[in-house]
Amino acid sequence: MASIELKNIRKTYEDGVTVIDNMNLEIKDKEFIILVGPSGCGKSTTLRMIAGLEEISGGELYIGDKLVNNVSPKDRDIAMVFQSYALYPHMSVYKNMAFGLKNRKVPKEEIDKKVKAAANMLDIEEYLHRKPRALSGGQRQRVALGRAMVREPAVFLLDEPLSNLDAKLRTEMRSRISMLHKELETTFVYVTHDQTEAMTMGDRIVVMKDGVIQQFDTPQMLYNHPKNMFVAGFIGSPQMNFIECLIQKKSENYYADFTYYSIKIPNKMNDYLKMYENKNVILGIRPEDLSIADKNDKENVMELYVDIAEMTGADYYLYGKINNEKFIANVSSNQNIESDKKYKLKIDVDRIHIFDKINERLICD
Amino acid sequence: MEKNMKKYFPVFVLPTFVAFTVVFLIPFVLGIYLSFTEFTTVESATWVGLENYIKAFTQDENFKNALWFTIKFTFVSVITINVISFFLALLLTKALKGTNFFRTVFFMPNLIGGIVLGYIWNLLINSILGVFGFDITYDADFGFWGLVFLLNWQLIGYMMVIYIAGLQNIPKELNEAAMIDGASPFSVLKNITVPMVMPAVTICLFLTLTNSFKLFDQNLALTGGAPARETSMLALDIYNTFYGRIGWQGVGQAKAVVFFLIVAIIAFVQLKITGRKEVEQ
Amino acid sequence: MMKSKISHWISFAFLLFLSLVFIFPIYLVVINSFKSKFNIIGEPFSFPDEDTFVGFENYIYGIESADIVGSFFRTLIITVGSVVAIVVLTSMTAWYITRVKSKFNKWIYYLFLFSMIVPFQMVMYTMTSISVKLGLNSVLGIIPVYLGFGSGLSVFMFSGFVKGLPSEIEEAAMIDGCGPIKTFFYVVFPMLKPTAITVAILNAMWIWNDFLLPYLLLGSNNKTLSVAIQLTMQGAYGAIDWGGFMAMLVLAVIPIIIFYLFCQKYIIKGVVDGAVKG
Repeated sequence: MASIELKNIRKTYEDGVTVIDNMNLEIKDKEFIILVGPSGCGKSTTLRMIAGLEEISGGELYIGDKLVNNVSPKDRDIAMVFQSYALYPHMSVYKNMAFGLKNRKVPKEEIDKKVKAAANMLDIEEYLHRKPRALSGGQRQRVALGRAMVREPAVFLLDEPLSNLDAKLRTEMRSRISMLHKELETTFVYVTHDQTEAMTMGDRIVVMKDGVIQQFDTPQMLYNHPKNMFVAGFIGSPQMNFIECLIQKKSENYYADFTYYSIKIPNKMNDYLKMYENKNVILGIRPEDLSIADKNDKENVMELYVDIAEMTGADYYLYGKINNEKFIANVSSNQNIESDKKYKLKIDVDRIHIFDKINERLICD
Repeated sequence: MEKNMKKYFPVFVLPTFVAFTVVFLIPFVLGIYLSFTEFTTVESATWVGLENYIKAFTQDENFKNALWFTIKFTFVSVITINVISFFLALLLTKALKGTNFFRTVFFMPNLIGGIVLGYIWNLLINSILGVFGFDITYDADFGFWGLVFLLNWQLIGYMMVIYIAGLQNIPKELNEAAMIDGASPFSVLKNITVPMVMPAVTICLFLTLTNSFKLFDQNLALTGGAPARETSMLALDIYNTFYGRIGWQGVGQAKAVVFFLIVAIIAFVQLKITGRKEVEQ
Repeated sequence: MMKSKISHWISFAFLLFLSLVFIFPIYLVVINSFKSKFNIIGEPFSFPDEDTFVGFENYIYGIESADIVGSFFRTLIITVGSVVAIVVLTSMTAWYITRVKSKFNKWIYYLFLFSMIVPFQMVMYTMTSISVKLGLNSVLGIIPVYLGFGSGLSVFMFSGFVKGLPSEIEEAAMIDGCGPIKTFFYVVFPMLKPTAITVAILNAMWIWNDFLLPYLLLGSNNKTLSVAIQLTMQGAYGAIDWGGFMAMLVLAVIPIIIFYLFCQKYIIKGVVDGAVKG
């Protein structure tokens, strides 16, 4: 049980490449934190620095109140679950789980108790005497979790633990890990490139790109109020639509104009848009904030030529193009929708996001 | 992790590296230096420049003789060993009866040491030649072919198991595809089998080349160079120069340097040439 | 169908014949080892009969006159000691220089590689003088010498294997509370086992049969099997007791063949792996 604090952390490799510069992050005790971002964004490096597997080139790292920059991994009171599971191939499941405790000179009976308790919790009791190679991917994953659990560490580090599993198992393991976090009441730091994992599991999420934290917030805040176009595009599936448009003021209202359409922007945003009058901005609309328009709807309606309509059961995904850019709408499937036809879509203007075209930052939403 | 490990250099690397330095690195460098000196002990060396090398090539018929003998021997052995062992590997991968037994028998001589091998063949060849009233030291040709037979006997099984491994690595579908394409058995061998076992060929050529060229124990035991050093190969000739001719140690060392250079060049060139012919899988 | 059956039988007969050719030299030595020394030179191919059969007389003579038993155990000690030292120490070295990536370690690695193509004669004289000066000319002293000469191939083979191992397992061990030494012996070395067997077999075959190195360093005081056999022949100047000598050859070959028949699978696999990686 411990908080983690990163102060001005920097990572420079021997060849002189800096992958993380001046990173600051405060993780509270017992929080479930997700580091998410595309590959190469520095999320794994950050985790490995917390673990002590990667040297810290600059700045300070605290676990609890202790400065741990020069503390070796085994003395940081952490446990880690690796993407490849990293089970010891020559040891049985039992020995894999007991190994860390044995190294810490925990009495045999206590080891036995802890291993069995963890195995019980993870449903791997019957495999305790098998070698890892005789287990399926999902079972190995649970052994890896168990190995970390028995140590009762202050901090639990997980590096893409689910990415080697198939889709169905992944969903199952997601809830298992969330449950585990509830029961263990320790700090979890979890790295993934999958935004769905991030959104469903994290108390708070760190969205990273090119070694820089883009936004650190709760899932709700990331979804509803992304701070920039990267976060807006990364969080949410399917991706947010971005349309370049011109801001114009007509009477007391602002309008966003693109192709033949003019969208009326809600008045709550007026203050933010003064500086952008007659300028181009990026309009962000989530697919799920679109719906099939009624005949009566006149305002904030646009037309989409649907190239492909995919029905998933409850919803339709409509794929088309606006301004030569891919455009997706996610509408409920009350009506029958066909490919290669035009449909009128109503935009929920209260939920639109407007971004600066140059620095891609949020102007208002 | 690297940082944690760094200070363990003395534990992990030093024992091996010290042994390696003492018995290989220092002797190697010292050996190159001594080849330019006249010496009877390591401490008594006096610089003579290239004189040892000149002596080796101009005043020592044995050396040129040994060089030529070694080249001829290597040429014949490499071809015979590889052709026969490849052929045997083909036969033994055809799922005949008794494959395991044959493999066991053919491989066995490889485990017997060079000295013992040499004397076993000494007995055999002398027994056969004895019928006609000769022995192996009667003619250098006897020694030459004796060594060729001996090395074939020793290495065929070794190369054969490497070829078998290479042949077994060829996906069956490839042969089947070729047969459906209407290829004759010979065409399959030429166009599929041989190109696909090129990695094994590279290895076997390399091993037979260096083993033949560096042959010592078998040479010493089978002929000892007789008659009149005509069947001395390079390694034995260098040994005899060092320990048989007082005052010629410098020349022996110079010969050893030449020997090393030839082996290094052969190894390098051979790996370059056959390495290029390998099929990327 | 008929044709392929016939060709099968021809192949089989050919292989059987060739097997006999392969076994014949050993057979010849064995039958002569049971004949009286006067009957070997004249009639080497004949099977021992009432007149020529001498039972184990040659063996007793061979064992007594040439210290074969002593040589056998000496060779065994040297081989086992050297192989253990090589397997343990070079695997440690290979792991370290593969995992700790520095220019210096890369150089060390290339030096080990380089040593593999240098013929023994190149360092024969200088190595012998240095080793004698350091007192390595004894049964135990020769073990570090073998370590030095065996390190090239062994480090190369272990490094090849370590490169293919995911370093995450080692990281997991470090987090589980192991320092580098514990990590190596509890986690890395067990994973290296297949390569360790290969390295052990290749080195054992070489050291057991080696002649020149023990001849130069140990000479006639501490003969190994190969040295004993060579010295028997060399010292006799033609006045050799052929019967005793045949018995010595058989005694030298039998342990290897027994070992081979029991560990054939590992030996052949070791040789193939060694060749493919070397």
